[in-house]
Order: sequence, then C-alpha cells, then structure tokens
Amino acid sequence: MIELHLLILAIVVSFGFVFSYLAMKEHDLLKALALSSVQSTFFALGFYILAAPDIVLAYLAIAVGAYTALVILAISKTERYEVGE
Amino acid sequence: MKRDVIVAVSFLLAFLFIAYAVTMKNVLGLGGAELRPLGEFYLSHSFAHENLTSHSPEVVTAIVWNYRGFDTLFETFVFFLAIMGAFSVLRLTDEQEKLVKELEAREPHRRMDLIVRAITKLVVIMIVAISASIALHGHLTPGGGFQGGSAMAVASLLLFAAFSKFTLERKGLTVRHTVSAYALGLALILATVLAPVFLYGGKVLEINLLPGEMGLFNLDVGEYIAVTFGFLTAFLVLGVSEWIFKTVLRREVND
Repeated sequence: MIELHLLILAIVVSFGFVFSYLAMKEHDLLKALALSSVQSTFFALGFYILAAPDIVLAYLAIAVGAYTALVILAISKTERYEVGE
Repeated sequence: MKRDVIVAVSFLLAFLFIAYAVTMKNVLGLGGAELRPLGEFYLSHSFAHENLTSHSPEVVTAIVWNYRGFDTLFETFVFFLAIMGAFSVLRLTDEQEKLVKELEAREPHRRMDLIVRAITKLVVIMIVAISASIALHGHLTPGGGFQGGSAMAVASLLLFAAFSKFTLERKGLTVRHTVSAYALGLALILATVLAPVFLYGGKVLEINLLPGEMGLFNLDVGEYIAVTFGFLTAFLVLGVSEWIFKTVLRREVND
C-alpha cells in the first residue's frame, strides 16, 4: 500500500530535481536564478508535506525572496551571460 | 516545441493528482489522531526540561529554547558577523556617501507602471501584516522572529523593485537608520538574555525566571527587528550601482 502523501512528496521533489538540473544547464544567469527559485518553491512544498511549517516559512522567504535578490544584485555587478571556454 | 508540450502535460497531470489527493483524500490533513512513539516522546518531553520551561506550547519553539537556547543565540551572532562583514567590506566615508547620493540623484530613474505601483503598495501592506503575525506570536504557533523578519525584508525588497532605492532613501530609509534599528533589535535580545542575571540572580539565558511568556516574546520581537533591518542593511549596501562605486573609488585613487 503506497501512502498518498509520500507519493506527492516524491512528485514534488522530483520536479525540484528537474528544475535544479535546468538551472545548472542554463547560461543566462537571470533565467537560472528564476529556475532555482521555482525549485525552492517545490522543496518548500516538500517540507510542508513533511510537517515542518517552521522551515517552510523561513525557506520560502529566504530562498525565493532574499537569496534571489542578493544574487540579482551580484549579477548586476558582473555580467548576465555565462561564457563557456 | 515538443519538449514544452511534454513539460506542460506532466505539470498538469501532477497538479491534477495533487489536487485530487488534497480535496478528495484529505492527504494534507496530516494524518489521523494516532501518535507514533517518537511523536509521543517529543510531546511529553518538549514543554519542560527538568521542570524548567520557556513557556512555549509549540513543540519546535519549545525544543529550540528549552534544549538549545545557546545555539539560537549564537545564530544571531553569526548573522551579525555576516552583516557587519558585508558592511565593512563595502563601507564608504562621509564624503564618499555624499558623492554617491549626488550621483544617484543624477541617474535617470525609470518609473514603473501605475498598476504595478498600486498593487505593490497593497501587497506590501499584506506581507507586513502577515510577517508581524508570524513574528509576534511565533512562540505560540509555527514561525518566529527569524521567519517573520525575513518575510518583512522581502516586503521591503518589493518596494525596492517597484519604486527605487533612491525614492526609499529620500523617504528616510538610509543605511544609517537601518543600522540603528538593527542595533536596537540586538540590544533588546541582549537585554532579555542578560535580564535573569541582573534581576533574579540566575544564569545567562534562564528566561524561565522572567514572568510568563515575556522572555520568549521579547526574543521574538528582538529577532524580528534585527533580522528585518540586518537584511535591509545588506540590500542597501549592495544596492549601490557598480559604476557609481567605481567612480567614487577611482576619485579616491586619483587624489
């Protein structure tokens, strides 16, 4: 008997995995940042299913808000496109 | 093109499944009333440790403050070191700050749409209210000072994006003010932590000696203020445009 919430957890976390892969392959750093914040939204859902609401509250605000903003500020000081060798 | 279709369909299926599970099967009602042994252990031991309690009915907060209070306190200090590190690496003298202000005033600033600005105002008010509710009864429900503070920092980030850093600084949100508010939050935390020593002759962080929930509430409020303004300080310091920074520093080299 598969427990339903564990199945949902698996789906959500594998979506997060896919998005983190896409974020790593992306050469446009701003797009990569957007993809990584989508990934953290999925992981936040996963934390909620694991019954950790304290983590969800901090994780969403930090990973989607503060971290994204800090990296955007960092990108604005360098270049937007990652150039391969 | 084909890949997009596959992605869209898999998303649709996943969310249909989740919606079905949540509405029909009540999966996220988080189980029935039965308790596993581990949960029972936590519930019976978390509220008090050897008859000492920080008066928090919420299990996570109770464990954090009854068992690992110093951990949490030193996290605040680590955060302080990080903010102060960023601040001192990117510090400017008074004349340089004046120069930065002049250069920023001359920078052409684009205004966002009326729609964006109006909606941002509404959303910011809502986020501030929610962050206050997360922080101010963080000792009773999930949440706490850090979570509320970071939500508040996100609200001010929205203001940065929709208006501009320059507008906010003209309204009075300067680095000087945010650092002062940060210091105020830290002072509140330190006062609460040291109060048992001076008022009741206890040890550092024995907040169970303070009447009722006062100790935890003060720590919540202090952390809320400290985290909000700590993040804001970092954003304001980092938010100076790179060319302005370079111009200022170059002038310093030429002198």
